[in-house]
Amino acid sequence: MSILIDNFDLFANGLLGTIRLCLLAAVGSLLLGGLIAAFRVSPLPPLRALGTGYVTVFRNMPLTVVMFLSAFGLPPLGVNEASFLNVPGLNFLIPQLGNNAFFRFALIAIVLYTSAFVCEALRAGINAVPTGQAEAARSLGLTFTQNLRNVVLPQAWKFAVVPIGSVIIAMIKNSAIAGSFGVAGDLMYTSDVLVSQEGLPLLPVFLGLSGGYLLLTIPLGLFLDAVERRRAATIR
Amino acid sequence: MRFKRMTAIAAVAVVAFGTASCAKKDEPAAPTSKFAAGTTMDRIAKAGKFNVGTKWDQPLFGLKGLAKAPEGFDVEIVKIIAAELGIKDDKVHYEETVSKVREDFISSGRVDMIVATYTINDARKEKISFAGPYYEAGQDILVAKDDTTITGPEIFKTDATKKVCSVTGSTPAKKIAEYATAPGQVVLFDVYTKCLDALKNKQVAAVTTDNVILMGYVSKEPDKFKVLGKPFTKEPYGIGVKKDDKVFRDWINDIIEKAFADGRYKAAWDKTVGAIAPMPKEIKVNRY
Amino acid sequence: MPEPLIELNAVNKWFGSLHVLRDVNLTVDRGEVVVVIGPSGSGKSTLCRAINRLETINSGTIIFDGKPLPEEGKQLARLRSEVGMVFQSFNLFSHLTILENVTLGPIKVRRESKAVAKERAMKLLDRVGIGNQADKHPGQLSGGQQQRAAIARALAMQPKAMLFDEPTSALDPEMVGEVLDVMTSLAVEGMTMIVVTHEMGFARHAAKRVVFMADGELVEQAPPAEFFDNPRSERARDFLSKVLQH
Repeated sequence: MSILIDNFDLFANGLLGTIRLCLLAAVGSLLLGGLIAAFRVSPLPPLRALGTGYVTVFRNMPLTVVMFLSAFGLPPLGVNEASFLNVPGLNFLIPQLGNNAFFRFALIAIVLYTSAFVCEALRAGINAVPTGQAEAARSLGLTFTQNLRNVVLPQAWKFAVVPIGSVIIAMIKNSAIAGSFGVAGDLMYTSDVLVSQEGLPLLPVFLGLSGGYLLLTIPLGLFLDAVERRRAATIR
Repeated sequence: MRFKRMTAIAAVAVVAFGTASCAKKDEPAAPTSKFAAGTTMDRIAKAGKFNVGTKWDQPLFGLKGLAKAPEGFDVEIVKIIAAELGIKDDKVHYEETVSKVREDFISSGRVDMIVATYTINDARKEKISFAGPYYEAGQDILVAKDDTTITGPEIFKTDATKKVCSVTGSTPAKKIAEYATAPGQVVLFDVYTKCLDALKNKQVAAVTTDNVILMGYVSKEPDKFKVLGKPFTKEPYGIGVKKDDKVFRDWINDIIEKAFADGRYKAAWDKTVGAIAPMPKEIKVNRY
Repeated sequence: MPEPLIELNAVNKWFGSLHVLRDVNLTVDRGEVVVVIGPSGSGKSTLCRAINRLETINSGTIIFDGKPLPEEGKQLARLRSEVGMVFQSFNLFSHLTILENVTLGPIKVRRESKAVAKERAMKLLDRVGIGNQADKHPGQLSGGQQQRAAIARALAMQPKAMLFDEPTSALDPEMVGEVLDVMTSLAVEGMTMIVVTHEMGFARHAAKRVVFMADGELVEQAPPAEFFDNPRSERARDFLSKVLQH
């Protein structure tokens, strides 16, 4: 226990690192997942095929492989530093975004991987919206995008928010892999350093590590439970 | 009818087995030990089985292919010690001991000793004891074969655009951080092979760790990489044993000195690292 | 001189091997109220939904306001905005208030200002008798109120024609009247309407023409008095004997 207290600042820093990575990854995954879900329900067959192909590839590939392909496969393809993610302003809040190419590659990998699951959760939500809703919107003259944005997605969101939350919880835990791919400063990395560089015993450090992840995932889980209860109350 | 025949076969088998065991009577039933009772050597010799931790992913020192025992200089050292214990090579049980678990594997008794490019330092000495060093490595730098810009670790102080790669939580990672000036200049992965991938992609300019490890990678791809050959740290490699097992530690130290003197050490070196680097001229074990 | 607003020529549709529309020819003039009746599964709902392309057809042509129905895309969206549609199950947007349901189309499709859209929406809601329900969600309204809201939603687009797909079939009997009243007043005002229904009373007094469908075929069409008193086909006689007995 004293190990955790003595190294509290290190753990706190690690937690902050994980939060930063996960915050960006969650936002990215929701955006990309939403886009892919739109592809999958689109009236245009090529877009549908693209969406289906995307989900098939990234949902069935181990995250480690996606990480590897992102960190070492993208540069030979010309994405040398993935510096398009080095967004001014954002890199001030999240310094790794600016100074660590592998942070950016790991972010890309997590987003690519997670958005496939977000897409499917969202699509399940879209399918749960009665078809009459979309038909009514179409017969008013709403275009596909207007229909999705104003009628279908706001309702699909209610069905999808809890499954998507579970996807995000899984994503937070998955982010531990990033420590093995050049992302310095997250929880997993901090624990690694404490054990093998500082020589602290494995068990207490990993207890602290697990505690850090629980600190992120349990409140999220409670929040989702609350959302679900509120939804159950309003839908009747 | 069938039952009768089977009993007959069984009877013959019993007779044959009985004769065979009679013939072996003059051999010892269990391994005996020439060591003082209660010592670790005695325990291992009597058990007839030797549990050893090595690296499985480090060329030249401890590298394991599919379904084979690991190979390398560390493994040869293990064999020398095993022979002194009266343990045959096939009775040595190898465990993979990655850097993170080494102390725990010794403390818990999961392995009897660890020979795994294991740098002796004070923090580790608080939890385990070391025999040796049996070799003194040093941190060096590996670069692309055609790179002439990197001459030593000081370059990372003067040129912050040059990135250097190592492994999370390793001693070399801590050391090279002293030379780095820009955030993100030191790139850390969980294994060195990723560092090499990053170097091939020119995502980093150099990889740093102990020289012998780097040489292992050079030996695999000599036309891609080179090692600077200017170690800037001293990394004495020790043999990890249980803390305060002074008898075992001293006994291993004796063997190291003996093997160095009588040529067994040289044979082990030539068989493994010899093609890449010259053998140390001397070794000084540290008896404490 | 009546001019046609909706024209169907030799329209065929299959659901797999099921031939649901067989060579249907139908012309509806501006201001005309056509009531489509027939047994279940006769294809009358499909016919209604084909006119704004919620169902695609396999052959034949459908012409609306002088132009053939466009393919999926912006053109089709524009066409649909000119044809109001009322569904059996109301299909009000359940996450929006009644007022928002009525203003969504004008704001998003017609790009009207919120104030203009809201003003017309309130007038329409008052007209269908549920102006006081504007801020409620659909789930809080009775079936009859919901269907009247749905009619207001369609009217808010100021459509050239209105399609009603069994608008009273999902309603409790005591609410059928309030919806039919709204539809009757629309008919009186001269709205072009195609109404698929089982309400023979409405067909008799509000329709200018009754169209009888069976097995995907348009069997006969006539003014209501003529159709109900002297049906020409055997199938129509059979159908009427069943529905008018009670």
